[in-house]
Amino acid sequence: MNVILAIKQYISKMIEDSGPGMKVLLMDKDTTSIVSMVYAQSEILQKEVFLFERIDSAGRETMKHLKCICFIRPTKENVDLLAQELRISKYGQYYIYFSNVISKQDVKSLAEADDQEVVREVQEFFGDYIAVNPHLFTLNIIGCYRGIDWPPSVLKRTSLGLSSVLLSLKKCPMIRYQNSSEMAQKLADSIQQSINKEAGLFDFRQPDVAPILLILDRSDDAVTPMLNQWTYQAMVHELLEINNNRVNLSQVPGISKDLQEVVLSAEHDEFYANNMYMNFGEICNNIKELMDEFQTKSKSRAKVESIADMKAFIENYPQFKKMSGTVSKHVTVVGELSRLVGKTSLLEVSETEQELVCKGDHSASLQKIKTLLHDNKVQQIDKLRLVMLYALRYETHSNNDLSGLIDTLRKQGVSDKYRACVNTILDFGGKRSRGSDLFGSTDPVAFTKRFLKGLKGVENVYTQHQPLLQSVLDQLIKGKLREAAYPYLGKNLLRDRPQDIIVFMIGGTTFEEAYCVHQMNKSTPGVRIVLGGTAVHNFKSFLEEIQLYAQTPRSNRSDGMRR
Amino acid sequence: MSSQSSEIREGFLCPMCMKDLGTVSQLQSHFEESHSTEDKATLNQLRGLFDRAKRKFLGDKEEVYVQDAQKVTSDTISQSTSLYDVDYWQHQETGVTHSWTDMFRGVRDTRVDKYVVETNKLLIRLDKLISQDAPTDSGKRKAFEKSVVMWMPDSDAKSCRYCGRSFNLTRRRHHCRLCGGIMCDRCSHFLTHAYAKKLTNPSYNFDGDKDVGFLKRSGSNSSLNSLFSTEGDPHIRSCDECRKLLERRDLQMEQRNTKTAIVLLYEKMKYCIEECEKQLESYLPMVESLCVGESTYSLRDAQRKRGELVKKYELIDQISKRISLLGSDKEEGPSVKQALLQKSVRVYASNFMQENMMGLQNLPTEEQYDKLQKMRTAEIQKEIALERQATLQAQEVEKKKADKHVTTNKEESGSQKHVRNRSIGWKPAEQNVTRDSDDPMVQQMDIIRGYIAQAKEAQKWDEVHMLELNLKDLQMEYSSQQKSTWS
Ligand SMILES: [Zn+2]
Ligand SMILES: [Zn+2]
Ligand SMILES: [Zn+2]
Repeated sequence: MNVILAIKQYISKMIEDSGPGMKVLLMDKDTTSIVSMVYAQSEILQKEVFLFERIDSAGRETMKHLKCICFIRPTKENVDLLAQELRISKYGQYYIYFSNVISKQDVKSLAEADDQEVVREVQEFFGDYIAVNPHLFTLNIIGCYRGIDWPPSVLKRTSLGLSSVLLSLKKCPMIRYQNSSEMAQKLADSIQQSINKEAGLFDFRQPDVAPILLILDRSDDAVTPMLNQWTYQAMVHELLEINNNRVNLSQVPGISKDLQEVVLSAEHDEFYANNMYMNFGEICNNIKELMDEFQTKSKSRAKVESIADMKAFIENYPQFKKMSGTVSKHVTVVGELSRLVGKTSLLEVSETEQELVCKGDHSASLQKIKTLLHDNKVQQIDKLRLVMLYALRYETHSNNDLSGLIDTLRKQGVSDKYRACVNTILDFGGKRSRGSDLFGSTDPVAFTKRFLKGLKGVENVYTQHQPLLQSVLDQLIKGKLREAAYPYLGKNLLRDRPQDIIVFMIGGTTFEEAYCVHQMNKSTPGVRIVLGGTAVHNFKSFLEEIQLYAQTPRSNRSDGMRR
Repeated sequence: MSSQSSEIREGFLCPMCMKDLGTVSQLQSHFEESHSTEDKATLNQLRGLFDRAKRKFLGDKEEVYVQDAQKVTSDTISQSTSLYDVDYWQHQETGVTHSWTDMFRGVRDTRVDKYVVETNKLLIRLDKLISQDAPTDSGKRKAFEKSVVMWMPDSDAKSCRYCGRSFNLTRRRHHCRLCGGIMCDRCSHFLTHAYAKKLTNPSYNFDGDKDVGFLKRSGSNSSLNSLFSTEGDPHIRSCDECRKLLERRDLQMEQRNTKTAIVLLYEKMKYCIEECEKQLESYLPMVESLCVGESTYSLRDAQRKRGELVKKYELIDQISKRISLLGSDKEEGPSVKQALLQKSVRVYASNFMQENMMGLQNLPTEEQYDKLQKMRTAEIQKEIALERQATLQAQEVEKKKADKHVTTNKEESGSQKHVRNRSIGWKPAEQNVTRDSDDPMVQQMDIIRGYIAQAKEAQKWDEVHMLELNLKDLQMEYSSQQKSTWS
């Protein structure tokens, strides 16, 4: 149950199958992302893959001395492009791998284009998703809501992506879904259909305890993607945005040219692998250590003159080369994070968010929000964040002052478009749309837990919140997840304690949830959880998501449901 | 893997300015020259920044935190690799794959077979048309050509089947000499004798201009016209379809028979790399063994092997350099992609060499090796002596016990503490000694026999020798003991 490994194994199998010789890897836009998340270019180069090309790039050179490994999604455009390519082949041999199921008709039309007999392999390798962490994957889709329904093409893409996850991990699961979401049910149905249709593919030896696929809808917990984050990976995504492991730093004041875009990949960056789940304070310390270590290493050996010295140096510090680049990268990223934290009063904002969401003191929270709304250091987007959280948290509170807060937003110059999001979030994730008890006011156990947590210490002020996903998974593992709220698809029920769990969040998951799943994997022996989503959101991308949701006329949405 | 970031960063990057320095020494001097004053300031600045952030974040807990910092970070570094890779996830089968290759081949091959049959027919005709005995006289020639393939009657074609224009006085009918089909002059192609020879006889050395294949009449191409109208026409008129079939065959043969310079060099380089890998496999254990003073291998052999390896490395270096420079002597140079390819091959080779640099570490000199050997002998002897002493002591204890409690069963006599935990190389596994005797001396001898067997298996002849001496000593000791008890 490691999605990074699953994709890596597919790619290395492709490369091995093509045998020795110089190779080119031909991909489309999507598969380029898929591959680049798991392999560094230098790593794949050592497997004799010397060139990387896009199938849709015009005017590629003919290089008959290369073997072509072609890894593409089985879309109509790609099949057409490939057929064209085969008619006037550019490379000596072709090894073709589709990232999902391809139709017999498409295979036939490709075979008819291969007059030059250059094709050696045509296969389906089910790597049709983006592996972010070993236990986290995404489909990079923003806009899966058209009101409360799927746009058909997005449902199809999501269903394909998710079933490829199952195939790549060799899991044929029992499916459970969030009952309050029609979209979750539709996706569940669609997955079940493809399992039935492709029974031949799903025919593998099953473990004694069947895997579980749990399909959830973001609308049940709209709070999590709105909170500021303090673990490294989540924080970088929130403040700087991670896009396929890449972070754009070009906006950082005084940035050097080489660091305008940096790659954060746990697969290839040891410091990042060790720190991605650490909180900001710990990272600041670790990066200082890293600097010091580098400084001592590079200074202690003042005389590196002969070749022998150099060899000795490399032997002693095999990480040296990697490290020198790593130091400057993380120093820059962490430096920028701390600059932003200070500049935009993020600690105060975050503290208020956490108290708002996790405690029940309405008037104290309201007071703090009002103060922050008037604070010029606080960014507009954070002001919006606070008001949206308030709207959800105190939706039905008798002294609710949402209109007052929205008015303050207006006075503070927050745009109409942004202010409209406050109502949208209520529509999207308000009480009426939720199937679960997001704020836990009626659950005495949750209340006690929170109280105990509150006593634990100051350092938790910024990390009090635990996503709803945590308690859902907790109940699932304990066999206490209510069937009425999360029914099984079909008649079969799982009687045993689940072992392999794949949980998928329609509307996008978050790095906070990924962190939480990571912790659960670590602390629950025998249980393996993989988390996926249509996207991995930060607040900005989540705003985009709900703005697209709101674009559908209201009459097609909640009103339609009541009819 | 985006195109912008496609450049592979190699070498040693300065952490301050990201300048790419070729070697460690260059980086060293660069660092001292450019940053010795500035970096302290930067460093301090950064430190200040972190401290402030930390204080803010951690509040009054900072004191404790700083004290534990050393511990925390060293812990996290070792511990958190496992944070990332949850161990029990390690093994995983490759995901589901599904092959269409057979079905694909089925469809393609039935299609391609048709071409092959057609093409072979054309080649047979072509062979006749260019044969020595083919008449050159234009009258006889036409009859001969018609005998090679039946020409389509003029009445069957009202218009050209390629451009669709109807035939008349100015647009006359022409026959393809290969299939007998009809087309207009503009749609005709002409194939040179040389090219035809190449097609019909793969071993024919075709050293003409590579572009010469089919000639196409373009509107006002009078030179071709005149060429064509002369007696002993060197060109063979062909239709588009026949041309395609022949060109397809030509391309396939070209690919099968020719290897470009880069392919030849690359194959040679790969061969060297594979040889290196094989040699390293036997060389590395030699180095390891020699460096601890063992005499399992001879130093000479290792030196010779090292010499061979260094030569191979040099060869790999040379070839990859040549590959990277291919085509750069030409005025226009290699194309962009070709240049990128060549550069990547060079990076590949230097990565290989760098990764295996370890293997070329210096072997000990004769003198050093001598010293190492002596040290090792001394060490082994010391250990054996210690062990022997321990045995004797145990025996003493045993005796005393036996004297005191003659009736009680001796149980825990043979607890084995003999596994030596030296870090160098071979270590005997704990023996399962069958307890024929309770005498620790006998047990010790059994154990040593076991060690000898293991050491022989591991080909550790030094150890075998030492142990055998040890065993002999023990045996002597034992027999003298036995004598004394019996007497
Ligand atoms: Zn520098
Ligand atoms: Zn014509
Ligand atoms: Zn013809």
